[in-house]
Amino acid sequence: MKNLQDAKQKYEEIEIPEELNLIVKRSIKKAKRKQNKPFKQWGIGFVAAATLFITSVNVSPALAHSLASVPVVGSIVQVVTVQEIKIAEDNFSADITTPNVTGLENKELLQMLNDKYISENKALYESFQKKMEEMKVAGGGNYAVNADYEVVTDTDSLLVVANRNLEIMASGSESATYDNIDKEQELYITLPSLFKDDSYIQIISAYIKEEMQRQMANEEVVYFLEEDEDGFSSILSDQQFYITADNKLTISFDEYEVAPGYMGMVTFEIPTEVIRDILISDYYIK
Amino acid sequence: MTNKEKFQLVENYIVEHQNDYYRLAFSYVKNKENALDIIQDSIYKALNSIDRLEEERYIKTWFYRIVVNTAIDFIRKHGRMQAMDDDILHSLLPEQHNLEKDYDLYEAIDHLNEPYKTIIVLRFFEDLKIDEIAEIQSENSNTIKTRLYAALRKLRINMEEKVEL
Repeated sequence: MKNLQDAKQKYEEIEIPEELNLIVKRSIKKAKRKQNKPFKQWGIGFVAAATLFITSVNVSPALAHSLASVPVVGSIVQVVTVQEIKIAEDNFSADITTPNVTGLENKELLQMLNDKYISENKALYESFQKKMEEMKVAGGGNYAVNADYEVVTDTDSLLVVANRNLEIMASGSESATYDNIDKEQELYITLPSLFKDDSYIQIISAYIKEEMQRQMANEEVVYFLEEDEDGFSSILSDQQFYITADNKLTISFDEYEVAPGYMGMVTFEIPTEVIRDILISDYYIK
Repeated sequence: MTNKEKFQLVENYIVEHQNDYYRLAFSYVKNKENALDIIQDSIYKALNSIDRLEEERYIKTWFYRIVVNTAIDFIRKHGRMQAMDDDILHSLLPEQHNLEKDYDLYEAIDHLNEPYKTIIVLRFFEDLKIDEIAEIQSENSNTIKTRLYAALRKLRINMEEKVEL
């Protein structure tokens, strides 16, 4: 190696690890969360949870671990962690946290939710193990899954639990499902149940398209729109959504669903004026 | 530019140029895990001190400076200082007038002291301009030029070999 050109070539041959992209994205996300917001709220939740649950800790030591991560306690209906699975091998890792809703009188709803959480995470864990074994046989690779939950909304009348999944191979992909629960009437709220008829699909889609265009014109963001192949044309009738504490409807898209990966998951809050005429009532959405 | 716009801009910039910065970090620590740590740290630092980025056109040098400083800090803290004294440099380099084919310039650059190593890497591997390196190192351009010549002398780069400064 005689000259700088050769040395440069050697420099350029430094191998880029598969996980770089993921680490970059994660770091950005972390920094963003720190910058933005709502951790004040969480802090109070932790303290409240800690005092309220002292008795249960004494009663059941097995519960003690899960209580460390009780997110928000505002009323009798609560969400606690019942199980956390962690696996860490060389290039494989899984961190799966299963939530459990308690305090609803409606046992059917309660069981439906909790069974769903358990079965989803069981399926996730099994598919992780299967894939891990396959990859080991095939000579390795990197694979990680991360499932976690967050209480997105918790008011006197509403509880929204988001279940987030992060699956990482060459690059990561993040997705979420939301359970919107009416705590007073103990009902599970679906997107169609909010509206008089199916016209919400078209009306919300049109609004989101407009909003995407507006954002792309004004900000450094990119969405996949209709013109692109596989661009966004319409929400699903059961698109993931959640209701915020101030009673706004927010539509959520998984990573890659409507935007390039670096945008992560994206959400759109739908102004209530846009959908007022087609709402069944202003009970949930105001 | 609002902070939010800046954030988005920096985010996009980092994502787009991640490979370059990874190589730069790797060139200091020579292993994947530490290089990834440096990248991660640099991203936190950048995004948490976004106020200090004044104009869009400084993104590049601003982020280079963060990565370079993070890498050098890392080496200091972890005691894996690459730089060696001239004896070792001599053992890697050929005798003055005896340009053997197999001496390892790449390796030799590794053993340069700071700031010489960084200047060589930024100038010749990352293709930055002298002015940009001056900004990254908070020095004036003439100082950087002088150091670059000194570094090349240390490496015994044949100046007749087309080295463009």
